[in-house]
Amino acid sequence: MNHVLKVENVKKYYGSFQGVMTKAVCGITFYVQEGEFVAIMGASGSGKTTLLNCISTVDQVTSGTICIDGKDITKIPENDLSDFRRERLGFVFQDFNLLDTLTIEENIALSLIMNRVKAKEIEDRVMMIAKKLGIQDILKKFPYEVSGGQKQRCACARALINHPTLILADEPTGALDSKSARMLLETLMEMNEELQATILMVTHDSFSASFCKRILFLKDGKIFNEIIRGNKTRKEFFNEILDVQTLLGGDFNHVK
Amino acid sequence: MLSKLSVRNAKRSIKDYIVYLITVIFSFSFLFALGLISYSKEVIELSSIMSNFRYVMFAVNIVIVFIICFLINYTVRFMFTKRSKEFGTYMILGIKKRNISQVFIVENLLLGFMAFLISLPIGFLFSQLFSVVIMNNFQLDHIVTIGFSAKALFLSFIYFVIIYILVLFLAYKRIRKLKIYDLLYYDKQNEKVSNKRFSKIAFVCFLLVGILSLFLFDQNFKYEDPSLGMILLCFCLIIISIYGVCFTLPDLILSTVLKNKNLKYGSDHLFVARTFRSKARTMSVTLGTLTLLIALALVSLNVSSLFKGMFLYQIEQVAPYDISINGEQEELPKFMELIRKNYTVLDSITYDGYKEPSDMFLRTIEQNGGYTWNQGYEKLMRLSDYNTLLKWRGMEPVTLNSDEYLLHSTKELKDKLSIDSLKKITLSNGITLQQKSYVTKKYTYAWGVGYGYVIVVPDDAIQGLEPVTHHLVVDTKEKTTEVFYDELVKVKQPDLCEEAEAGYTICYPLSSVTVRGKEEALYNGFMTITSFICFYIAFIFIAVVGTILAIQQLSDSTKYQYRYRVLFQLGERQEQLYKTVRKQLLIFFIFPLIYPIVISFCTIVSMNQLFKIALSNDMEYLGYYVFNLGIFLVIYMIYFLATYFGFKKNISE
Repeated sequence: MNHVLKVENVKKYYGSFQGVMTKAVCGITFYVQEGEFVAIMGASGSGKTTLLNCISTVDQVTSGTICIDGKDITKIPENDLSDFRRERLGFVFQDFNLLDTLTIEENIALSLIMNRVKAKEIEDRVMMIAKKLGIQDILKKFPYEVSGGQKQRCACARALINHPTLILADEPTGALDSKSARMLLETLMEMNEELQATILMVTHDSFSASFCKRILFLKDGKIFNEIIRGNKTRKEFFNEILDVQTLLGGDFNHVK
Repeated sequence: MLSKLSVRNAKRSIKDYIVYLITVIFSFSFLFALGLISYSKEVIELSSIMSNFRYVMFAVNIVIVFIICFLINYTVRFMFTKRSKEFGTYMILGIKKRNISQVFIVENLLLGFMAFLISLPIGFLFSQLFSVVIMNNFQLDHIVTIGFSAKALFLSFIYFVIIYILVLFLAYKRIRKLKIYDLLYYDKQNEKVSNKRFSKIAFVCFLLVGILSLFLFDQNFKYEDPSLGMILLCFCLIIISIYGVCFTLPDLILSTVLKNKNLKYGSDHLFVARTFRSKARTMSVTLGTLTLLIALALVSLNVSSLFKGMFLYQIEQVAPYDISINGEQEELPKFMELIRKNYTVLDSITYDGYKEPSDMFLRTIEQNGGYTWNQGYEKLMRLSDYNTLLKWRGMEPVTLNSDEYLLHSTKELKDKLSIDSLKKITLSNGITLQQKSYVTKKYTYAWGVGYGYVIVVPDDAIQGLEPVTHHLVVDTKEKTTEVFYDELVKVKQPDLCEEAEAGYTICYPLSSVTVRGKEEALYNGFMTITSFICFYIAFIFIAVVGTILAIQQLSDSTKYQYRYRVLFQLGERQEQLYKTVRKQLLIFFIFPLIYPIVISFCTIVSMNQLFKIALSNDMEYLGYYVFNLGIFLVIYMIYFLATYFGFKKNISE
């Protein structure tokens, strides 16, 4: 199968503040295949968000290579990165990052609009995605008029609109209640299964992770363990996640 | 669609930055109003000096444009950091920086252009208001209407364009340098908390620099001719001192609060001191600039008052009578005829100055280091003439016994003439006179007799003395004019006048002819120019300071809402919370005010050394100081209240 994402020996050290060097990510290697739904788990401070930032071109690696679609993103010049992000990457954030001056529809279409795609095409693509995610009725509303779950589905639609190679989600359920969280995860699963979207999700929540096909566990900036769902039910997989967590010995819900 | 986004963003900004927008609108209004005035033909024709108004305005506007740039740039930068997450989102969606900067620039241009448009009618109203002030200055009884001027509009537009090109260029550069990471995580950054404290010694050093500067300034004004270089040096030193004090004082306040246990744990002192210090640390450069602007505003108001006081007094000193002329005996009827032709004469007097062939007064002045135009004799004036002239000015007549005389001089000569040897004088006709009194109040050169002083003797005492100068003083019903002065000069010395273009005659000034209308035109022109410019500068500076403080504090009220929630949850009552807010805001508004109050007081005291001889009394400057500080505080207070109520609203949400 085709490797959509290749992360090889990536290190990220943070500058010395009063002589102290923070090693957030210390030599991580892993691969993601097309159509996978992968979760990265780890306690606060384990380096998972830093890793995601590096993959999403938000942050730069100290050493190592990250290839998306065969392109080494650590070597793409700054000015071409925006095109790369627009064409290959989709983002879903914990706190939605929707623009409050735009309607849901405009938020979804934003990157198309800013890059001057034709109006008719924008409309069609937004409508198609919105229908799939079940938010076609709230398109004309503003973000402050809809619920958190709806906002996050809007963010998913925005991430999907360009048919990206890879969707990166940073704690997407972090700001949602359990019902909305469940609905969102089901949406992500559908996106993965029906639209063949490749998703890489960072989370510290075992329940969220149990929707994925594969989970990487991080500890102190290194990969500690990896488990694959295979043919297990979600319930069985969930229990397995809890076992690994016990092994990790960290309480995921506490900040160190 | 891009423009739609810009419009919506601009709309939202209006709500958040209303204080800022109002200030920008007012600043542009002032620019436009003063432009209209300086291009108004009627105003320029009020006095020959007024033609300079336009050029002075031009120079001042360069400073003002710079300051407005500072304000707008500050606010734009500020808006930018507030919306860093939004820009981060744009970038992560793959939108190019060029497009992002376009949106931001368009929305700021929209806001700016809106402010500019609104400022036009307001500016026009202002110009009418200013015309009333000018009318008042020139004591005119007709209304000067200021018309619309395309040139002024064009000039204002140019200023607007310059300001926005500069500001948006800076913004554009800022966007180009951005990194997504910094944008997305900007709001996770705190105020700079550094444990490194400035020492008390640094504070004391900077304070000493300030004291040195004020001392040098004071020394400089002890002499009649203050050196510009010295003033510039003082200015530089005081700038260093202001910034230095703003950097070091917050630490000093905090450590004082921390050291004193009673203070530390008393009421909300700790919270307020900590909040203030962390904020002051983050924006110490801005605080320094604000302090500097306040100091400049206050000093500028004071200078304006001093000049105004001086000019009012000067008119009285130079030209208390409508027309006064010194000349040859046979010339005077010729002048009288000309005056009668032009004006209704209410009263007139001719009198002589008598020659006393000794130079005892002049020599005394020379011995005391004064400069005189010594022709080898003194001039005396008869008591009856003197009394008539006093009466015309509404002053009480004086009486002298036959063996007494009176000495009346300018304030400058007071020290040089109060000499015991002049207490008793003997005239060449053998009459000995005792000095009855020596006055300096309301001396005028218009009397024409003497050299900065006049010796008044009883009418009988001039027996045998030769009349040496001849004078005519006229009181007219109508106001005299600048043009009439030229006519008189033409009669007296035609070679002093030359035909200029457009049929105007320009005459060089002649000290033997004084026409009140001319002096008024001159001094009122000066007065109008200086007072307008000083008030203009002061107002813009105050408004900029108030706006920046307001924006800072209001945005903090939303950013640090949680701090107040914590206080509330810890059991502080609502009123107590508001009191804390009030205290905190007050410290913020007062902090940049303390030093300027001291500076402006010291400088006006220093400048008064020079100005006092030209002011009606030595203590007048204190009144100016209090009045100007009052004006300042009223405007400042408006900004404070706007901030306080906005703050209250934000944290109670």
